[in-house]
Amino acid sequence: MKKSLIILLFGLFSSFALMAQNTMIKGSVKDATSLEPIPDVTITIEETQQSTLTDGLGEFTFSSNVPLGEQVLRISKPGYVTKRYPIIVNEGQIVNITDMTLEVDLASSEDLFTITLSDDELNDDTSGADNISGLLASSMDIFQRTAAFEFSSSFFRVRGLDSDNGSVLINGIEMNKVYNGRPQWSNWGGLNDVVRNQVLTSGLTPSEYNFGGVLGTTNIIARASSYRKGGRVTYSSSNRSYTNRVMASYASGLLDGGWSYAFMASRRWGNEGYQDATLYDANSFFATVEKKFNDKHSLNFTSIYAPNRRGKSSPNTQEVYDLKGIKYNEYWGYLDGDKKNSRIKETEEPILMLNHYWDINSRTSLNTNVAYQWGKLGNSRLDFPGGANPSPAYYQKLPSYFLADSDGPDYENAYIAEQEFINNGQIDWNRIIDANLTNNINGSYAAYALYEDRSDDSQVTVNTILNTELTDNIVLNASVNYKSLKSENFAEIIDLLGSNTGVLNVDSFDGFQFDMNNPDRVAFEGDKYRYNYNLYADIISGYAQGVFKYNKVDFYLAGSITKTDYYREGLYRNEANANNSYGKGGEVDFTGFGAKAGFTYKISGKHLIDVNGGYITRAPSLRNTYSNARANHDVVGVVNGVNVTGQEITEEKITSFDASYIFRSPIVNARLTGFYTKTEDANEISFYYADGIGGFFDDQGNVQTNNLVSEVLQGVDKRHLGAEFGIEAQVTPTIKLKGAASYGQYTYDNNPNLYISANDQAAFYGESNLKDYKVAGGPQKAYSVGFEYRDPDYWWFGATANFFDETYVDVSPLLRTSSFYTEPTDGLPMNDYNPEIARDLLKQEEFGSYMVVNLIGGKSWKINDYFVGFFASVGNILDKQYRTGGFEQGRNANYRELLEDNSNPKRRFGPKYWYGRGANYFLNVYFRF
Amino acid sequence: MYILDSKKTMKNKFQTMKTTKLLTLLLALFASIAITSCVEDDDYSVPNSLGSEENAGLEQILADINSGDLTEISIADLKALYQAYEDGQSGFDYDHFIQIPDNLVVKGYVTSSDATGNFYKEFYMQDAPENPTAALGVLLNQVDSYNQFNIGREVYIKLKDMYVGYNSNEVISVGGKTDDQEVGQFTANQIPTKIFRSEVTETIVPLQLSLSQISESNVGMFVTATDVQFPENLEGSTYGDPSEDFDTQRTLQACEGFGYSNFIVETSSFSNFYNTPLPTTNGGTISGVVLKSYGGDNLVMLLNDISDVEFNNSRCTPLDINDFNVVFEETFDSQGSWEVTNTVGTRDWYNTGFGGENYMRATAFSSGNIDTMVSWLISPSIDFDAQNSEQLLLEIADAYSNGQPLKAYYSNDYTTGTNPDDATWIEIGADEINALGVNTGFYDNNYEATGLIDLSMVTGNAVLAFVYDSNNGTISTTIDLSDVKILAE
Repeated sequence: MKKSLIILLFGLFSSFALMAQNTMIKGSVKDATSLEPIPDVTITIEETQQSTLTDGLGEFTFSSNVPLGEQVLRISKPGYVTKRYPIIVNEGQIVNITDMTLEVDLASSEDLFTITLSDDELNDDTSGADNISGLLASSMDIFQRTAAFEFSSSFFRVRGLDSDNGSVLINGIEMNKVYNGRPQWSNWGGLNDVVRNQVLTSGLTPSEYNFGGVLGTTNIIARASSYRKGGRVTYSSSNRSYTNRVMASYASGLLDGGWSYAFMASRRWGNEGYQDATLYDANSFFATVEKKFNDKHSLNFTSIYAPNRRGKSSPNTQEVYDLKGIKYNEYWGYLDGDKKNSRIKETEEPILMLNHYWDINSRTSLNTNVAYQWGKLGNSRLDFPGGANPSPAYYQKLPSYFLADSDGPDYENAYIAEQEFINNGQIDWNRIIDANLTNNINGSYAAYALYEDRSDDSQVTVNTILNTELTDNIVLNASVNYKSLKSENFAEIIDLLGSNTGVLNVDSFDGFQFDMNNPDRVAFEGDKYRYNYNLYADIISGYAQGVFKYNKVDFYLAGSITKTDYYREGLYRNEANANNSYGKGGEVDFTGFGAKAGFTYKISGKHLIDVNGGYITRAPSLRNTYSNARANHDVVGVVNGVNVTGQEITEEKITSFDASYIFRSPIVNARLTGFYTKTEDANEISFYYADGIGGFFDDQGNVQTNNLVSEVLQGVDKRHLGAEFGIEAQVTPTIKLKGAASYGQYTYDNNPNLYISANDQAAFYGESNLKDYKVAGGPQKAYSVGFEYRDPDYWWFGATANFFDETYVDVSPLLRTSSFYTEPTDGLPMNDYNPEIARDLLKQEEFGSYMVVNLIGGKSWKINDYFVGFFASVGNILDKQYRTGGFEQGRNANYRELLEDNSNPKRRFGPKYWYGRGANYFLNVYFRF
Repeated sequence: MYILDSKKTMKNKFQTMKTTKLLTLLLALFASIAITSCVEDDDYSVPNSLGSEENAGLEQILADINSGDLTEISIADLKALYQAYEDGQSGFDYDHFIQIPDNLVVKGYVTSSDATGNFYKEFYMQDAPENPTAALGVLLNQVDSYNQFNIGREVYIKLKDMYVGYNSNEVISVGGKTDDQEVGQFTANQIPTKIFRSEVTETIVPLQLSLSQISESNVGMFVTATDVQFPENLEGSTYGDPSEDFDTQRTLQACEGFGYSNFIVETSSFSNFYNTPLPTTNGGTISGVVLKSYGGDNLVMLLNDISDVEFNNSRCTPLDINDFNVVFEETFDSQGSWEVTNTVGTRDWYNTGFGGENYMRATAFSSGNIDTMVSWLISPSIDFDAQNSEQLLLEIADAYSNGQPLKAYYSNDYTTGTNPDDATWIEIGADEINALGVNTGFYDNNYEATGLIDLSMVTGNAVLAFVYDSNNGTISTTIDLSDVKILAE
């Protein structure tokens, strides 16, 4: 306080002395220990909420629309203790506060989020329960921090929305994948020290970098000059996703000649995370160098290489969990004494980028970027063209199968199956390899093969971002972006598992040639097979935004336009789609518009009202455009190359509003927000094996009631309505109380159309009666209360109790169509259909409420100019078992089969679930210099 | 001021050095940890221990056989165990299986493969890779068993407390459970403890048979039928018939004389060649496992794979009667100049007729009894030098069949009215007679033509004889010989 008083006086003094024309606030920020300048510190004038960032020299300036009189500057940066400086601003004068200092927050929990998110990526794409906490972790907002740190392990989604509604940028370049619109966190995982500088704009609030989605924009600033000089070495131990992590980073700070550089390397590894046999093997490298040529021009080069391999874990039915516990994973088995996982996800997508920063004048800057990203994304799995299903949890191996015997429960075999599953219940690699060796003897093709579904992308992005202050009150942001993607998709054999005969490139299910141009080809290790196609995407977009700032009110208007083109190029001629699979397919193009506006009304420094509204139309992602890209060119609404009238694919539409009341006092910070988001005309595509469906015929014209199908749900509307609340109170200098709540209702808002396609046939089932079913994906209601104690002696601890409720199973849309109650053979209603029973069968399962308690504590020491510290956290200390998500299996696709399955002592095809982790720990020690 | 400055510089320098050193050290440490901290690698190579558990099981079996704790039983003897039980049953309502109480083990060589889906949860094995004498079915709850019990594999099955008896096709099989009145599968959990493989995979040398030679004794064996083809009217048809829910039976034929001998190729609707067209433009050899149709009524052949259908020859056509002259014909409107004489018993051939068809009939049936009889029906003398390439053709109907009592001979030195036992007789046409259909029921008046019985080696004057032999009173089949024809080009 004394120091700040001195600065205040000094500042006043210097401003008197300068007698400038404009009212300005300028200054600089340094590290209190090292006295090195700190870049990218957020400086906020509290009353008007204007904010800016410090540059590489730790300097900042407010030159426009500066409020007069007694003001408070808030100086904050993740990893540092936030400070508030009182200043007095007089008209026409410059307030110059140089060398403000920030102290390192020794009790910072900054490391936590990158663990919960970028290391975990809690589930795979299959779950649909993606995690967005990474978008929020750098937020100063208590609700968003709670969502990131406390709710993420329950798959909580802010506002119930998928992460494709938020954009993640690195140095201004969007990193969301074109394939599914989601950021691929593992591409920069393990680089915590260098991705910590993040600028977050949440929700629709305007970002300086792009238009953004309805969940906001996070820009990771990874330029060499943005790093504080110094280094850090960290070691962590955990039982969550990896067991060990070492990280080392060093940044030069701004050197003579305008150079700066930073690098980082880390390794995360472990043979097993919380789930059985979920190996983890990730190395990460980062290097950046920047040259500041003069006051106007700076050129930065950043490179990231973060190869990542991890073993996946399976969703399971409740029967399986009951027998094997919540750590059970069906994907692995012992091979030569080692746990060997058959499903490994591997990402290796290095990023190179060149960034040019041009301060045209004091009011205008232009940031131009070029980025190239390429590499592979692979998901391995077992193929069994000539062998029995290797899954140890295959339904015919479980007790429920024997209990459902048509002659009445077969208790003897159910018991035997149960014992077998309990005692073994893993993949039998020896049998698999033996099968292949046996087939070698007679020259039969491999019974099993390990292959990888690959998606090898190469993407070029170019953009330029303009930021100019038109007047003291008006800032104009604009950008133009171009993105070009080539995505090579194919399956490749990784290991033939002892076979020397190879795998025939023919669909063992129906005998179709995967590639008619090379019929009966035999594939060996390293060969592509099954499917092989390229997807191309060209995306051009632009946005412009005006931000208007006045004493009582700030408001903004923003608009965007995006032109998206996709096409597919088939490299195989799939026999089942002979005339619709090879060569270049038709182009599909989309034009997306976005418009949004909002205002912040400052009732006083303590009370603010913030209102935002927007309407966005956007192209569906590649994933939701091609209905079965592995087999043919068809996009949604096109079957066998023919447009289905009235069902043409269109842009998704998103309407979103929110309104917040924000309260700030020296003790209490709180925010209450009501939100409403409606998405329309979305598509959802899924693949599964269906049993008991109608509308498909074999070669001979017979009805085929079971099939591997792709399900297309078209024109889906969803409504996300709710409120979120966050409050924190510094009740004593050492104790802070925290609370957060999210109360939402996320529902389907219409009955979208559904059709199923398999090979060159499609069956249209009309509407799927989904309206008012709940959208799956994390709890719809979540609450948290907690406290933090921070001892002046550099130790601290905290605890939170988190309550979750209303997590719903993902319903099968097919079961909600007419297919459910009509005979597969003739399409007439079933004679034995009972609507009362049907209603019961189709009721959406809700998982019930549960509480998770988390503890965290740590201590730090300052030794000369070094810091040494550790912290430990224990998640779910009460070892509560809870379901984070689940989905109904599409297998029993009609009333009779579902009823039959439900009438069994145990369901064979019950929903599959994910469970959250039981009690788990994370331990972190670091050394910083 | 100067001192302070230099001190500061020194301190900075020191700090930089220290930092650099420390950093280097830490990076080295980091690098070494990173390199040595291996995570499960991509090694899916064949483990050395693979199969050792099963081998140990097999070695134990062999040791137990040596020590006498376990007795190896041949497939034929094992089937005889069941057959003995079966013979002791009467009526239909009894269990078609027995449980094996003893420590027996049976060995065989796999003849079938479910790789194409034509077999399902079963395989067959025969007692030798070549020239087998008996074969057996094995029922097991395992799909794709071909990749474990591959064709030619030597397999041992421990039988104690297991079952042997009929499967649903009345093929004698072994299994670990019972299923109603039949043998049921070895369960997935029994398989590893009961069925063992040796490391040996033999090449199964198929039994080469003509269609008419395939018999009940070949069931379960891997057989090659030569010179066969599918009938022309199956052109455009596939192995599977879409109107059949389960199995499709397709006729297989071989040219024999003026007609065809027939057999059945049976194909499951789950086989992957179900939709493959039948090759009707050519004929050739076909290899498969001889089995029985559902219920056990007919002998059928199941293919392991359609690559076992090697139709590379042109189709055969039966002999055309128009190409031949009839040099001798007897339709038995009466006994005519034929001689009937007995060497055993008093029952003999006699001339009778039904529905306008006359024939010579012989039977040893006598209500509740079978008479001992050997009765000769001897033709008048025929000149075999007057023409070449003589072929004999018979038409015969049978009834109440319980064995084949009929034999045919010729003789150059028989004198009418003497004891046939004093003359030299050479048997002819045994295969053709045995190939005739078997009618165990009432008279069906189905006069089947035999294939052509070659008489081209006969010279001079000779007589033909048809001998009914009740085989010491064990065969009482009724034989109606309605036509005897000699053809020549």
